[in-house]
Amino acid sequence: MAKARKKKTGARPVAALPVRLPRVAKGRKPQYFADPAVDKLLSITLTLAGELAVTRDRLDAVERLLGQRRILTPEDVDSFEPSAAVAKQRDARRAAYLDRILRVVQTELEEMTGADMPKSNDDVIAAVSE
Amino acid sequence: MGRFTPHSMVPQPSHDEAAMQDFVKSLRAHLASKVMPGAYAAYHARVEPAFRAQHGRAPKDQHEVRKVMEADPYYQFWSAMQRRSQEMMWDTVIDSTERQLPGLVDRARKLGRKPKGSLRMNPKLPIPRYHTAADIHLQPGGYHGEFTEDDVAAGAIYDVGVHLYLNGALGPENNAMGLLLTGYFRERFAGRTPSAILDMGCAIGNSTLEWARAFPKAKVHGIDVGAPVLRYAHARAEALRTAAHFSQQNAECTDFADGSFDLVVSHIVLHETSRSALTNILRESRRILKPGGVMLHLEIPRGSAPLEKFMYNWETYNNNETFAGFMTDIDLAGEARKAGFAEGKVTLDTYAPRMTSEQKNYSDEFAWKILVAEK
Repeated sequence: MAKARKKKTGARPVAALPVRLPRVAKGRKPQYFADPAVDKLLSITLTLAGELAVTRDRLDAVERLLGQRRILTPEDVDSFEPSAAVAKQRDARRAAYLDRILRVVQTELEEMTGADMPKSNDDVIAAVSE
Repeated sequence: MGRFTPHSMVPQPSHDEAAMQDFVKSLRAHLASKVMPGAYAAYHARVEPAFRAQHGRAPKDQHEVRKVMEADPYYQFWSAMQRRSQEMMWDTVIDSTERQLPGLVDRARKLGRKPKGSLRMNPKLPIPRYHTAADIHLQPGGYHGEFTEDDVAAGAIYDVGVHLYLNGALGPENNAMGLLLTGYFRERFAGRTPSAILDMGCAIGNSTLEWARAFPKAKVHGIDVGAPVLRYAHARAEALRTAAHFSQQNAECTDFADGSFDLVVSHIVLHETSRSALTNILRESRRILKPGGVMLHLEIPRGSAPLEKFMYNWETYNNNETFAGFMTDIDLAGEARKAGFAEGKVTLDTYAPRMTSEQKNYSDEFAWKILVAEK
C-alpha cells in the first residue's frame, strides 16, 4: 500500500496539450520606468505574488482536508471546493496579503497625503538635532 | 462579489487555476480601491502644483495632464501594476481554457445539434484592421484568432475574463449591460414590443440573451466579425436554453434588408472600432431600422474633467483600447445626426450604476453613456 502510494507521488507526467493558445497580445507594450529592467522585475514580482497566493490556497485546501482526517490524494485537493464561509476567509486573507506585499506603494501615498508628514528627511534630522 | 455562475460552456478551473483567478480578482480590487485613488492624490499633491509653478496655470486638457502624470513615480507604479494585472488575468483564464479546449469544442458541437436558435458563419468575411492591428484589451488572439477547428477559445476566455475585469460588476451571467439597456428601453419606450432585434458586435451574446428574455416573442439576432466568439455565443445561448440567431457579419455592412428591425443595439462596441467604422455602423443601424425603429448604443464612461479623461484613457495607451481615446471628446449625438437621424430624434443619455470602489478601475466617477435615436 505504502509502496503503491509512493509510486503515485512521483512527478506526474505532463500530458501534451492538443492545442496551444497564444500567450502574448499583439501590440506594443509601453515602457513604464526609466530602466526597462524595472518593468520586467515588477512583472516577475507580481507573478511570483500570484504563484505564492495559489500555493497558499492549495496548502489551505490540504490543511482542511487533513483536518477532516481524510487520506490525502492530489485528486482530493483538485476537487476541493471552498464553501462560501471558507471563500470569505480566503478573500480576507488575500486582501491582507496584498496590503502587505504592496505596502511600499501605500507608504508613498501616505508620505504625500498623511498629516504631519515631514517634507524631507532634513526635517527629521532637524527635529532630532533640536 | 459572488462567484461567476457557470453554464456548461464555461471552462471549469482546477483548484490552482481558480486560486490564481481569485488572486487576480483580489489584486485588481486592491489596485482599484487602494492604489488607483493615489494617482489622484499625487496629481493634486505634487503634479499639478509643479505644473502650476512652471506655467502659472493648471494643465488645460488631458494631453497636458498625460505629459506630467506619466513622469510621476506613483502613477508609473500603479500603471505598470494595472498592466500586469490585465496580462495575468488573461493568462490564468487561458490556462483553464487551453487545457479543456477539445472538450469545449465538442460540447459546442453537441449543443448546436438541436438548436433553439441558429449560427451562420462566413469564413470569407474580412476581419477589419481595427481588430487585427493589435489585440483589443490585451486578449491574446483577440476576438477573431482561431487555433483549432471549430475553435471556441476566444469566447470562453472572454466570458471568464470580462467577469474578472470588472470584478463581477457585470453580474453572475455577465448580463448587467443587457439588463440595463433592456430596462432603459422599456422605461423610455413604454408599451413598445419589438418583433425583430439586432445586437451588433455581440461577441459571446451575453447581452443579446437579455433581449431575447425581455421580448420572448421577438426574433433576436447577434452579429460579430469574430468566428470563435460567435460559435461560443451560439453554444452558450443553447446551454442557457435561450433562442438567438447569430451570424458572422461586420456591423458596418450587414446583409440584412432595409427596414428589417424594430430595434438595433450594441453594448460597449463602438469604442473598439475606428473613425470610419463608427460612421458606417451608425449609418447601417439607420438603414436596417424600420421607420420609427429605435437605435441604442451603450458606451463606456470617458470622464468629464481633464484628469478623469486622462485616467480613463489609461486603457487607450496601455490596454489596446486604442479607439477609445478618440471617443473621449467625440460628439456621439452629432455623429448619429450625421448618419441621417433627424434633429430632435437623437439623445445622449447617461446611467450611473451602483458599483463598489473595488470595481471602479480608473475613477470614482462612473456612468455608462447611452446613444439613443429613432428613425
